[in-house]
Amino acid sequence: MDLTLLGWGDRGWGDEMVFGAMMTLAVAASSYLLGIVIGAGAAAMKLSHWLVLRWLADVYTTIIRGIPELLVIYLVFFGGGALLRTIAKGVFGYGEFIDLPIFITGMICIGLSAGAYSTEVIRGAVLAVPRGQIEAARAVGMGKVLRFRRILVPQVARYALPGLGNVWQLTLKETSLISVIGLVEVMRQATVGAGSTKEPFTFYITAFVLYLGLASISNRGFLRAETWANRGVRTS
Amino acid sequence: MDQPAAALVAEDIHKSFGLLAVLKGISMVAHDGDVISIIGSSGSGKSTFLRCVNFLETPDRGRIVVGGEEIRLKAGRNGRTMAADRAQIDRLRSRLGMVFQSFNLWSHMTVLHNVMEGPVHVLKLPKAEARDKALALLEDVGIAEKHDAYPAELSGGQQQRVAIARALCMDPQVLLFDEPTSALDPELVGEVLVVMRDLAEAGRTMIVVTHEMGFAREVSNETIFLHNGRVEEQAPPAELFGNPKSERCRQFLASSL
Ligand SMILES: Nc1ncnc2c1ncn2[C@@H]1O[C@H](COP(=O)(O)OP(=O)(O)OP(=O)(O)O)[C@@H](O)[C@H]1O
Ligand SMILES: [Mg+2]
Repeated sequence: MDLTLLGWGDRGWGDEMVFGAMMTLAVAASSYLLGIVIGAGAAAMKLSHWLVLRWLADVYTTIIRGIPELLVIYLVFFGGGALLRTIAKGVFGYGEFIDLPIFITGMICIGLSAGAYSTEVIRGAVLAVPRGQIEAARAVGMGKVLRFRRILVPQVARYALPGLGNVWQLTLKETSLISVIGLVEVMRQATVGAGSTKEPFTFYITAFVLYLGLASISNRGFLRAETWANRGVRTS
Repeated sequence: MDQPAAALVAEDIHKSFGLLAVLKGISMVAHDGDVISIIGSSGSGKSTFLRCVNFLETPDRGRIVVGGEEIRLKAGRNGRTMAADRAQIDRLRSRLGMVFQSFNLWSHMTVLHNVMEGPVHVLKLPKAEARDKALALLEDVGIAEKHDAYPAELSGGQQQRVAIARALCMDPQVLLFDEPTSALDPELVGEVLVVMRDLAEAGRTMIVVTHEMGFAREVSNETIFLHNGRVEEQAPPAELFGNPKSERCRQFLASSL
């Protein structure tokens, strides 16, 4: 192992690796947020009275959970690129070769996956809210919006938090797959460094440390959030 | 017709769940200050009737009038009625306080916030005013010192007293109680009944579904015995308990002593 390789600046790879970690964090965070939005929507669909909506949401979660994430990435990247070029050509008459932006592609792919996992978490959390409490809200004259905002959402957040913490850990790891389409995050940066210095172990152990750091910091954040959300809940 | 409108009128209320006809035409009138007990065996439709009054269940047929204002209905699918105006239902519900068997306090809010929630968000009372009012009511039900606790930290009796304060804080015209002591350990029943007795003495209009025959007998001024979704007998408690006319009522009373 050669730690001098990890110096800061032009000579070393340290700054590149840290930049890669920031990219990992950025793509993970934006995928995660997208995933929660998708998950909330799909959970609402699964809980709806309408068979078609329930069915559509089931198809989505079944597909995403059933096929390899890598395949999703390739399909979205190449399929999305082809679609974009068709539109550019057909609508705007623009004939140059263009690709879907890598960051956006990655965010969509990982977001779709995070969405599928959070769908079940959020659906379960909604079902965990005692029906009587919603009824009590109706009985004091709260309308739909108030009930949703004041009673349902805070409790769903509480019940969903542990599960959503797991989804975050998964999301963080899955971002490494986006390296295959060229997004320069930790994994990609490590591979590049390893290739050009012939010191693979140095770079992969650095990636290991960076992932571990991200995971443990965010883990602590989730634990704090859980403590806060569970105030007033008997723990026994 | 210069008499003030009755606090609550329910007329010919029908309700079925699927093929099961639970309410088969129930009518009752509560005037201001009335305390009406509803008794009857399990499954006779007591809870369903109470829930129809504030539209937690939609009656299939019938009329509900709260303080002279009739709930507007329209014909829904298969000839059953449904609420014509959700906003009206919400407004009238805010005038009918409901106390549930299982308390149903909001577990993510402190006692004080449970009580303030309706006044602040439904009635748009200023927060400071709602807070003072809530604290005063918590004092009345004897639980002011717990105002910062969460529901899970309270005993059942304490939770139910908070639920009563929550209902009172809306200044309801009528209070509806659905077996408020049935979920309580026997030694906690008394503290809730004391509060309810005080409310009755203070002139609150109350409709109380109960298995507490002592309460029905001593506190209410009218008792309704439901059987199979119909009003089988209705009379002031002295009469109904002292000299029940219907055989079924007699049997029920004998079995629940
Ligand atoms: N939402 C519902 N769906 C189907 N059936 C219901 C529903 N609610 C009540 N019932 C049925 O209606 C009947 C009357 O129920 P209700 O709860 O009104 O009785 P009750 O007089 O309050 O009894 P208890 O003393 O046990 O509380 C019962 O047979 C019950 O199973
Ligand atoms: Mg009942």
